[in-house]
Amino acid sequence: MPEPTGVIHDIGYQRYTGPLLGRRHVFGALYLHGLRTAFGLGRSAKAKIFPWLVVGIVTVVAAGVTAVRSQIGEVVMTYAQFADNMSWLVIFFVAVVAPELVSRDLRSGVLPLYFSRPLPRSDYPLAKLLALATALWLLLGGPQIVMFLGAAFTTDDGLTGVWNELLDLLPGLLYAGLWAAVFASVGLLVASLTGKRAFAAGGVVAVFLMTTPIVGTLSIMPSRTLNELAGLASPSTLVQGVGVWSLGDLLVTENGGAAHSLIGDFGPVYAAAAVLLVAGCVALLLARYRKVATR
Amino acid sequence: MSTVSWITARGLFGRRRFLLLFPLPVVLVLLAVLSRSFGVDPGEWGPPVLVGLGLAVVLPVVALIVGTGVLGAEIDDGTVVHILTKPLPRWQIVLPKLAVATGVTAATVAVPLYVAGVLADSVRLGLALAAAACLGALAYSALFLALSLLTRRPVLLGLVYVLIWEGLLGNFVSGTKVLSIQQYVIALADRLAPTGLLETSVSVPVAAVMTALVSVGFTVLAIDRLRSFSVAGETS
Repeated sequence: MPEPTGVIHDIGYQRYTGPLLGRRHVFGALYLHGLRTAFGLGRSAKAKIFPWLVVGIVTVVAAGVTAVRSQIGEVVMTYAQFADNMSWLVIFFVAVVAPELVSRDLRSGVLPLYFSRPLPRSDYPLAKLLALATALWLLLGGPQIVMFLGAAFTTDDGLTGVWNELLDLLPGLLYAGLWAAVFASVGLLVASLTGKRAFAAGGVVAVFLMTTPIVGTLSIMPSRTLNELAGLASPSTLVQGVGVWSLGDLLVTENGGAAHSLIGDFGPVYAAAAVLLVAGCVALLLARYRKVATR
Repeated sequence: MSTVSWITARGLFGRRRFLLLFPLPVVLVLLAVLSRSFGVDPGEWGPPVLVGLGLAVVLPVVALIVGTGVLGAEIDDGTVVHILTKPLPRWQIVLPKLAVATGVTAATVAVPLYVAGVLADSVRLGLALAAAACLGALAYSALFLALSLLTRRPVLLGLVYVLIWEGLLGNFVSGTKVLSIQQYVIALADRLAPTGLLETSVSVPVAAVMTALVSVGFTVLAIDRLRSFSVAGETS
């Protein structure tokens, strides 16, 4: 029997001895990556086209509104109304970003890699949801800041004028947060159902657009209660209903009485429905990811 | 029925996600029935249901999902090479796919529109809406099929057209209506059954010529693009 000739060389493999970051850091990294993905940062130029197209349009609109206000003195839209008027662009933005956030991971089958980290099942969708909501809030809040700056620098009342503007701006930003929460949760839930980005985008748009005409039809029914509850049928009118109830004259400048009768005394119902919608979508999203992860 | 159209139809219907298309027409019919049973004046519920929901949302969205799906899905997963390597002229690939896309879209949209039209006014309006929707389905399908060959992100570009061009700009800048398939469909339906329910600023001859132009032009463009088509991986 010949002598064994094999030799095990020490080629310098080492164990990792550095700090092991925990769950919070994974969550943070996932959130930051999601937020960067939303705007196509760190990705190819092609991925930047659509998000920045939307950002460009809302910024141009905000700049135009600011210019009109500073030159002519006419308030075209208040801070809170800005979100309402941009609803189509918000839908488009969700349709662009939500599939990027979740559908790609589903399609390329990398979820087991994520879940092999110290990352609970629920953290992945929550991080993505938070990233999408933040992106939407930035999309709606950023232009409001532009409008605020324009108004603050052209005000004639000195610091009190600036302070009044600020008091108008803050509810507007909160309202943008409500838009972001509702649209992010619904959009992400729809997008997480399919791994194909194309179908996810179509589905998101279908869900949001389909519901608007339902509101239009319900609001002309011969029942007053039904008319006032019609807004519940669509995410955007649901958010507007909550806004009319909580912000009142900040959202509705002309003939405020008419708008108030739009939702009647059902303001709290709208608020409860909005909370329920977000909670329900998040619950379904979590359930969805429990199932996906075990596949 | 050629093999290509058979494969395309099976690719569309064979997936579960195709069922996602059905709620759209069902909601349309439901709303029409609901409005009718409550006895609301058709002049009030007609425009939001027929135009706002049917022609402005259901038709373009269904056409978008189906039209980009017939060829785009195969390009996405790379199986398009199997068809491209067969000794078939390119038009024999594009035309059957366009026919399937148009047929599926027209069937999903025209039937509920017919029902809603009959409930709103008369059988004539129902037939007019159905016929106009079929023409619109052809134009939209040709447009979206060509888009799926021109770009790697056809659905998003199609959404830009449907949401921003037809939806947003169409309301503010009336000039863009001349280049909007939705307005052609409304104009044609209104010509076939003149009622007070449908309103557009586009004239009927313009609508007819432009619909034909869009359908033929984008089909020719699609055939031409497929001639020099290069298969690439998924975009980043």
